[in-house]
Amino acid sequence: MKNNLSEYKNILIKSGKVIDPVRKKEFDSDIFIKEGRISKIDKKIEFENLDIADKNDIFVIDASGFIISPGFVDMHVHLRDPGNEDEEDIKSGISAALKGGITAIACMPNTEPPIDSEHLVKYIIESAAKLDYKIFPIAAMTKKIKGKEITEFGILKRAGAIALSDDGRCVANSRIMYEIMEYARQFKLLLILHEEDYSFSEYGLVHEGYFSSKLGLDGISYLSEDLVVARDIILAKYTGARIHITHVSSKNSVKMIKKAKENDVNITCDVTPHHLFFNDSCLTDFNTNFKVKPPIRSEEDRKAIIAGIKEGVIDAVASDHAPHLETEKNTTFKEASFGAIGLETLFSACYTKLYKQEGIKLPDVISLFTSSPSNILDIESGSLKIGNKADITIFNPDKINKIRKQDFISKSANSPFIGESLFGEVVYTINNGKLVFKND
Amino acid sequence: MLSVKSILNIEDLSLEDIDLVLSNTDSFLEVLGRDLKKVPTLRGKTIINLFFEPSTRTKTSFELAAKRMNADLVNFSAPASSLKKGESIIDTVKTIIAMKVDLIIVRHPDSGAAKFIFIKTNIPVINAGDGKNEHPTQALLDLHTIKKRFKDFKKVKVAIVGDILNSRVARSNIKLFKKVGFDVSVVSPPMLLPENMDYFNVDIKNNIDDVIGEVDVIYMLRMQFERHNRELYPSVREYNEYLSLNMDRVSKMKKESIVMHPGPVNRGIEISEEVMNLSGKGSDRLLINTQVTYGVAVRMALLYLLLGQ
Amino acid sequence: MKEKTLKEKALILNEIDIDRVLKRISHEILERNKGSKNLVFIGIQKRGVPLAKRISKSIDDLEKSNIKVGKLDITFYRDDIGKKIKPEVEITDIPFEIVDKDIILVDDVLYTGRTIRASLDAIIDFGRPKSIQLVVLIDRGHRELPIRADYVGKNIPTSEDEFVDVKLKEVDSIDRVTICEKI
Repeated sequence: MKNNLSEYKNILIKSGKVIDPVRKKEFDSDIFIKEGRISKIDKKIEFENLDIADKNDIFVIDASGFIISPGFVDMHVHLRDPGNEDEEDIKSGISAALKGGITAIACMPNTEPPIDSEHLVKYIIESAAKLDYKIFPIAAMTKKIKGKEITEFGILKRAGAIALSDDGRCVANSRIMYEIMEYARQFKLLLILHEEDYSFSEYGLVHEGYFSSKLGLDGISYLSEDLVVARDIILAKYTGARIHITHVSSKNSVKMIKKAKENDVNITCDVTPHHLFFNDSCLTDFNTNFKVKPPIRSEEDRKAIIAGIKEGVIDAVASDHAPHLETEKNTTFKEASFGAIGLETLFSACYTKLYKQEGIKLPDVISLFTSSPSNILDIESGSLKIGNKADITIFNPDKINKIRKQDFISKSANSPFIGESLFGEVVYTINNGKLVFKND
Repeated sequence: MLSVKSILNIEDLSLEDIDLVLSNTDSFLEVLGRDLKKVPTLRGKTIINLFFEPSTRTKTSFELAAKRMNADLVNFSAPASSLKKGESIIDTVKTIIAMKVDLIIVRHPDSGAAKFIFIKTNIPVINAGDGKNEHPTQALLDLHTIKKRFKDFKKVKVAIVGDILNSRVARSNIKLFKKVGFDVSVVSPPMLLPENMDYFNVDIKNNIDDVIGEVDVIYMLRMQFERHNRELYPSVREYNEYLSLNMDRVSKMKKESIVMHPGPVNRGIEISEEVMNLSGKGSDRLLINTQVTYGVAVRMALLYLLLGQ
Repeated sequence: MKEKTLKEKALILNEIDIDRVLKRISHEILERNKGSKNLVFIGIQKRGVPLAKRISKSIDDLEKSNIKVGKLDITFYRDDIGKKIKPEVEITDIPFEIVDKDIILVDDVLYTGRTIRASLDAIIDFGRPKSIQLVVLIDRGHRELPIRADYVGKNIPTSEDEFVDVKLKEVDSIDRVTICEKI
């Protein structure tokens, strides 16, 4: 037995149920990983028959009762690195991701300074490579994320930017947004859009509705999102740019995106686990972990999001992992920062809500955070292709965990799921061919 | 005994709680009518008046209430910090815990602040106004004022006039009045109303003339200019046209009906100079000063009930 | 509450006894104060109030006077706030001047003396009377403060776990005093 499980070159996973989100299938099978690559997926793979000279260099996982999935992909993460490493850094973010079964992340550029230059894109990629992990940097589409001047799309792409986004901010000026779309098309760059009309959200804290009226908290109308989604659909249709609306929160947005897809607009979208899990009744205790942007909206909106997932209008689920220090959340609702962490609960929240409660088929649920974001970002992740470096997550579907603040390994613990009982626990995470996480 | 440890909002109070507070209020009104307006009830208790927002009336009212029951009251004024990573409300909370007080009276510009302080300290809290959320002691004193005035007080028709959107008084009063079964309507233009009024479930009118002749209580809210991020209403002239109480409108009111206002009145905005200057019999229906007197008694009752538990 | 935990042990005074005792006390008060001219009565809520009214009425009948009777609730003056709560506060109503008056303070049972201590504090807050004299229907002993009654209806030695239950027509629709046992 090796001291460090990541030293094993070969791994045999026995007796699990395999989910293939690409072919939308589930079947009982063994998987053999040889020299870090998926070498065989077969009904029965016998340990004795494996052509490995040193049988001691095979780690055997008994996955009976467990489910085997391609490693998860989270396409919307704030790593806070560089600039706010007290909240999270690349290393702690990766640890949290691996605990959540996530083997690839795309990180947002609103760091300090923002990722709007070649060297910062490279900094992210190199830092991740040193830790043997895949982080796909999303670069800013405007300088300093100020929404005024376009960044160097060509150079950023060459440096390794997977997409462009001003996430956290919205480009208010429609003409500039139009130019961004035109220019992004030249480089076939994906634009990930945070949709917010500030004239409707400037002082807002929560969804404007029943509970904002009740609690005297300034509201953010769904119009804030809808107006910009409408604008950007029109612009994308006109320019032919490829856009992805992130963290969709309102029912009208879902409706408009559905229409846009029917009209051949090059559009995809994602939602967060908290928007599909909660509605604005969660606000009654003024719990600042529910202070997020876009705000958690009404039950009607939440239902529309679930329906959007079932109909395939919503393509992916992404955590919008946004770590904040205790002091930024341990205050009044108005003073508190927007954002919630999500890497460690992305899977169990989706599994609980979408599979256990909504009865969506498991391969369809899993595809939302494996094959689907991989397709959107055009990356080689989220599948179990033979010959690929193994990114595999194994989870126990029956385990129920009550989410506790002290159990988070992220540097921050601002999770809206604290206190919730969630199904599904990641037991093993195999990243880049190595067993890097085991839940004891 | 009250069913709550703190007075944070109206929703948490049961009808029995409300009855208990109001019946005790009468006893304290008797004390306030004496030459020596002081009883030793809360001797040895320490109360902190924690104000993160300037206030004269409410602060003084609580101070009088505490002192007339012989409690030790200390005033603690703190600025509401807006520093991202600097001193925050939680630091103030820790200081208060270390001071070992028996009860905290809180006013704060942020909704939910009173509840926050109660959760963090576990010391009884009276919410003296938190942001746009609630001002429950104001609602209780207003209810007492109405109850004393109307024999058949279950059937009272109330109209609340003005800036509902930014008013914690409106929130608490609508909740309390509906709870005790009043017929409540609001008079406000769309931009001074929350987008979603489903929660309140009240009749909405845009013009004071639509209600003035029908209601028993016309409750004029103070225009909260300081809580507006920009001018929400076109002008005082337009306000006077549709929302203010003037002599002409007073003359259309029902005989026994009354006028209330949480104070301080913006003269010439919510209520005209002339109406404010009414004297003699004509001023009988103006209960603004009665509200202030009852305010002290209601707060005495609350302090007594919370610290007696 | 009381009814559930108390068991009646012995009848101390019936309706006729109470009447007789109050008449006697009326005479004692008149004798000691040389008439009724300077007297005012204050009954302690709840059962001291009807007792005060009855005694003053009987003096009024004898003297053709019209003695004023006030009501006093001592809740705000208790020394056990926070330990026991009695949330329903009764009315305090003393609608007359007490300065330089001889106050006849009336209560049903004298026990530890703490109620009387609180009453004295409360009365002093209304002004400086010439004197305060105490009437109790029952004195059951067990004083914790140096307080005694000037006029006692009946002394009843009791044990600590006994309870003197005074019922009066005005409040309880019957006149009787019993000793009960706490069970």
